[in-house]
Amino acid sequence: MNIIVSCKIVPDDQDIQVASDRTLDYSKAKGIVSTYDLNAIEAAAQLAAAVEGSKVTAVTAGPASVDDSKLKKNILARGVDELVMCADDAYANMDAHATAEALAALVGEYDVILMGDGSADNYAQQVDVQLAARLGVPSVNGVTKITPEAGSLLVERTLESVVETVRVPLPAVVSVSPDVAVPRIPGMKDILAAGKKPMDVRAAAGAYAGSVEAVSTLAPEQADRKLEILDASADGAIEQFAAAIKAAL
Amino acid sequence: MKALVLAERSDAARELAAGARTMADEVVLVAIDGLEVADGTADKIVRIALPAGAVYDDAAATVASVFDAEQPGVVLVEPTRHLKSIAGRVAAHAGTAVITDVMEFAADGAKSLYFGGVAERVQKPVTDVAVYTVAAGAFEGAEPSGANAVEDAAWVAPAVALELVDSKPRELSGVDLNKADVVVAAGRGFAEEAELDLARALCDKIGAGLACSRPLTEGVDWLPTELYVGVSGLMLSPKVYVACGISGQMQHMVGCNRAGTMFAVNKDKNAPIFKQCDYGLVGDVKDVLPALAAAL
Repeated sequence: MNIIVSCKIVPDDQDIQVASDRTLDYSKAKGIVSTYDLNAIEAAAQLAAAVEGSKVTAVTAGPASVDDSKLKKNILARGVDELVMCADDAYANMDAHATAEALAALVGEYDVILMGDGSADNYAQQVDVQLAARLGVPSVNGVTKITPEAGSLLVERTLESVVETVRVPLPAVVSVSPDVAVPRIPGMKDILAAGKKPMDVRAAAGAYAGSVEAVSTLAPEQADRKLEILDASADGAIEQFAAAIKAAL
Repeated sequence: MKALVLAERSDAARELAAGARTMADEVVLVAIDGLEVADGTADKIVRIALPAGAVYDDAAATVASVFDAEQPGVVLVEPTRHLKSIAGRVAAHAGTAVITDVMEFAADGAKSLYFGGVAERVQKPVTDVAVYTVAAGAFEGAEPSGANAVEDAAWVAPAVALELVDSKPRELSGVDLNKADVVVAAGRGFAEEAELDLARALCDKIGAGLACSRPLTEGVDWLPTELYVGVSGLMLSPKVYVACGISGQMQHMVGCNRAGTMFAVNKDKNAPIFKQCDYGLVGDVKDVLPALAAAL
């Protein structure tokens, strides 16, 4: 089975700082594979292991900075056979429609394209369906279990209030919830082997047409707080704190 | 201008139709799979019946045909999984991208969370048609209206159909922290799982629901995933929030910084949470919580 898994490289949200003017400062935030895309990569590796003769190709499109050797090895060390990447500043800040267009140019022959639940930055959960529409294939989201069949996948989707079992004819796009598979932690051997795997890094085919414009991106305003801090060992501190809780209830 | 509304639940249909009324002259609601529509919701209701064995998402081709017939300027969609999938197909059909999970419509655009709440991003479409998924509460105070003229849309089969094999109700833990007035949240300041009982005892005292920070669900699995607060987890705004053993990193705080009164217990007096709380208590949770529960 030809399995494609798509992932997004985003700044590590644990290291994003908020500047005094409420704008976001990414200078300390290194690029990482968006958290939930790691679950998709693991699901791809597990599906490949379940179907003999499978191949997993990871695809990603983003600004030139995503072409980073550590990042590439991190992806390839997770049971991925090959990486196809488009790293070009023309591909920074794409909306889902544009991302689908960019990814469509990167996927070769495939039976299934797996995607994560949503990216850490936009979490729009839209690239799966936009790509499927662009490729003219079915798509299904919220998938928590994948069972391969001849010419199709039997998937379990965990939705808001029901669990659906759906047969998805291939080729198709399947986006998975984090519960589908726990990402592996690559060992030193995996990382060393990853460096020797095929990596195809390309430039953008052309500028994309955005359909959405970001007007502003600002951290929420801090609520004014009283900041009454007591030492628990001080006399009466616990009682004072308890009284404040009672008053607020 | 005309607005198209897509909802899976009747109350969301009403709320979005009310919001659509503030943006458009004519409101058309698409009712898929027997959605019940209250009187006076929209000008027109276009019903789409699902054939046996069809998956809800596969109504997208029919919705696209309704879109072509109605030519709306704006499409408002309830953010469920099924409808996010349909909204995406409709947006692709219209050559645009969906602006998702809108919390508020302002003069300069639609506001959604960015990086799970680290920031709020205002976006506007540059295409002729705008497609939004809209969170509950975005149109507070708006009232729907209309004659609910009913029309049935002919089913348009998708190029390749999914097959619904089974659908059964989901078993949920039953705790809805979104509705809790008082929340006690536990973090890494708890040295072992057994110490969580101290937080539970505090919950019992003040009628609180127990939540946690991400490391307690993903690092050690002491509590179920649906209880963690912050980026990509719960976004709460209770009356009272008591953060115990939580340092106050932004990734957690975005999920609770709209609380009415913020309390914090942490043994590190320099923890960032002490710059973001109303009342702070510097001390180890294992000593402080029993004393606190006794004092309440």
